Amino acid sequence: MEYKEKNEDGSLIISNLDVYYSNMLAVNKVSLSIPKNKVTAFIGPSGCGKSTLLRALNRMNEEIEGCRMNGKIIWNGINILDSKVDPVALRSKIGMVFQKPNPFPRSIYDNIAYGPRIHGIKNKGDLDAIVEKSLKDAAIWEEVCERLDESAMGLSGGQQQRLCIARALAIQPDIILMDEPCSALDPIATTKIEDLIDELKKNYTVVIVTHNMQQAARISDFTGFMYLGELIEFGETQQIFENPKHELTEKYIMGRFG
Amino acid sequence: MLGKVNRPYFNGNNPFHKRVDLKETLIVKLMFVAASLAIIVSLAILYTLLNGSIEFFLSPKVSIIQFFTGTKWIPSGIDPSFGILPLLSGTVLIAGGSILIATPLGVGAAVYLTQFANKKASSIAKPIIELLAGIPSIVYGFFALIVISPILRQYFGASYFNAASAIIVMSVMILPIIVSVSDDSMRAVPRELKEASLAMGATKWETAIKVVMPAASSGIIASILLGLARALGETMVVALAAGNVARLTLNPLSQVQTMTAYIAQVATGDIPPGLAVSAAFAVGLVLFAITYLINYLAGLVVLRIQNAGKITSSKKTKKFKIPIKNNKSNFNIISSNNNDLKVKRIQSETTLVNRHRVAKFGILSVGSCLVFASVFLGVLIISILEQGLPSLNINFLTSYPSANPAIAGIYPVILGSIYLVVLAMIFSLPVSVGAAVYLTEFAKDNAYTRILRRLIQNLAGVPSIVFGLVGLTVFVRLFGFGTSILAGSLTLSLMIMPVIIVTTEEALKGIPKSFREAARGLGATKWQTVRHHVIPYALPGTLTGSILALSRAIGETAPILFIASVFAKVAPDSIFDGFLALPVTIFFWTRHPKVEFQNLAASTILVLLVILFAMNLLAIIIRQRSQANRDW
Repeated sequence: MEYKEKNEDGSLIISNLDVYYSNMLAVNKVSLSIPKNKVTAFIGPSGCGKSTLLRALNRMNEEIEGCRMNGKIIWNGINILDSKVDPVALRSKIGMVFQKPNPFPRSIYDNIAYGPRIHGIKNKGDLDAIVEKSLKDAAIWEEVCERLDESAMGLSGGQQQRLCIARALAIQPDIILMDEPCSALDPIATTKIEDLIDELKKNYTVVIVTHNMQQAARISDFTGFMYLGELIEFGETQQIFENPKHELTEKYIMGRFG
Repeated sequence: MLGKVNRPYFNGNNPFHKRVDLKETLIVKLMFVAASLAIIVSLAILYTLLNGSIEFFLSPKVSIIQFFTGTKWIPSGIDPSFGILPLLSGTVLIAGGSILIATPLGVGAAVYLTQFANKKASSIAKPIIELLAGIPSIVYGFFALIVISPILRQYFGASYFNAASAIIVMSVMILPIIVSVSDDSMRAVPRELKEASLAMGATKWETAIKVVMPAASSGIIASILLGLARALGETMVVALAAGNVARLTLNPLSQVQTMTAYIAQVATGDIPPGLAVSAAFAVGLVLFAITYLINYLAGLVVLRIQNAGKITSSKKTKKFKIPIKNNKSNFNIISSNNNDLKVKRIQSETTLVNRHRVAKFGILSVGSCLVFASVFLGVLIISILEQGLPSLNINFLTSYPSANPAIAGIYPVILGSIYLVVLAMIFSLPVSVGAAVYLTEFAKDNAYTRILRRLIQNLAGVPSIVFGLVGLTVFVRLFGFGTSILAGSLTLSLMIMPVIIVTTEEALKGIPKSFREAARGLGATKWQTVRHHVIPYALPGTLTGSILALSRAIGETAPILFIASVFAKVAPDSIFDGFLALPVTIFFWTRHPKVEFQNLAASTILVLLVILFAMNLLAIIIRQRSQANRDW
């Protein structure tokens, strides 16, 4: 019964997770539960391990040489860190949006169609429908529908990031991970992404890492505060910001360090 | 009172009077002249090729039309015929054949190295590629004729000289260029793009093929073009292994002659003087034009990579038709955020097993490219050791060449090579470093500078046998140096100058701009800044580059084939003496029908390889020490 635990409700249960880079412990004994169809944010100073924690959820850490993970992440009754779990299959269910917008240097259409294509959708009509739906869900369809054949590199930074969100949606994931998705964007583009995230949680579980506390307060339902690789405090966002239990959390939120 | 203080910068009432430092002006002028040598060298090449070609074409026995359309190349005899098509077909057969083999191997190896190899695998593979790049072409030529050719003769019925052996060996020879340029361009693909693909559930193989390779496509194309240019200009492999009979055939088992091999045939004196010799210049001109064109194309592609960040949105190449226009949609769209467009569910599970199988097979095949390269290198080294070790002894190193293989040695040959390289270094190093310093630190970005840069780039791509023609025309004949060490080393200098300039420029560009600004901010002149704060830090890089350039010079055969004399059997004692050099000796002994001499060629190769190894080791030590001492 190694990886059968009762969380058929679609939540992610992280228990005793350690992540090492070579010999450096980046995430230390983190345990929490990320609920379905909510926005969960991780905050904390630079280097606290919040991005590493996020990248454990779709095993992107494994792409870095010398990275090791201990502990369990249970999703739908399966420990996704188990060596029998195929990271390729896992990532087709957990999408990711990165810090810097990273569209492929090809057309807008091809950017969105890339994921479905590799996952076996070949029919042009099916692809067209997925592209349209993804772009609409990411609230960028109206801005790009007339120029789907143009290079994605010609879009503005904010548009590129929404394109990347659409690209992640196109693989029809259940969970979307976002690694500081607004840190490279201006305030107007940031607002658009934040509105979008609010929209997305109707259908997806969203996990977001942000260095911007106000952002976490604005958009998340649950917040975790990390410091030096440890999860100091985790709870409902309102509670964390208004009534933090841990002294470190309070200090950080009051802006006294970080 | 102020007047008593010695203030040299005071001039009348203007404390900021501009000084003119004669020494500094002179130094910059000298470096300018050094950089401008690129023009003179380029003109010398053009003069050589045009002068010789004009002499050839003015002959009543030659017609230009027949030269370009004739199908017979019979340069000597009672009724000579100069139709270049057989030489062209030979060149295309060999260069084309080797690029066909080398492209998948080289690109595959680069894909493996950049995308799949862990640190350990690449720490083994990289030196192998570097070794393959460092082995002189004469050694490849030996291997083609003495090792590969007999196999082809036995199993495929190839003739003694055959194109296939040259193709096989040359494809490995140009492999390192393709690997290193493709490798660079694939490494330059932003990590974020790879992560984006992996995070969508693409396998590493799919990411490599569908994201990394397209993003690096310009670099990959450039690498293939550069490899092709190298294959077209390569002389020694084809001169040794492919034969000396110009045939209009694309059969790789028969013997063919390439353009370079014909020039080499003239150089070795196998062709009686007269029209056949001036024909070499016309052939050289055609060869030069072709390689120039290909290098030019490669340069254009590289430019496209450098500009790649800027372009894109304006580029509307293919028109993509959207079946569903926003307002004429088949679907009823109320709000863009909340739509109930029905889409097909992705079921990645169904294809997953197959995709992993493809990935495994793909990784295995690109990995095997490196295995092939390693095996090739292993066989090459072992067969040379096998043939060369038995006759390698003190006697061989200290005696003189002889017609009797039992007592023949290479003492004057080693000396000749050392003289050549030392002189080449004296001639080329100061000039090249001066040119590089001028170009990176002092040159304004104007048309003249751009022309200089262009010319230097082009010079780096000129086939080495063309430099042989230049050496013969300019140094041996025009300057009257005769077939001497002086002429030989000057010829080699021409060839390695662009290499040293480019590596020195790289080293200079690696010095942070802030160092220069700090010195300039303290009131140092431009030359003082460069002298004290740029050159010292760039020195290790320059030295490493120069040693590598020299190690290339010591292994070069083609450029000195015209100049080295077979008859110089005593050690030279003046720079005007005739000389023999290691690679030239290897060439003649490899061609010798007697096996004993072929074995001596192998022994000489071993000596050459040891020298090369020592020089490379020195370069590596300098590089590592400077990196260890570097605190910025």
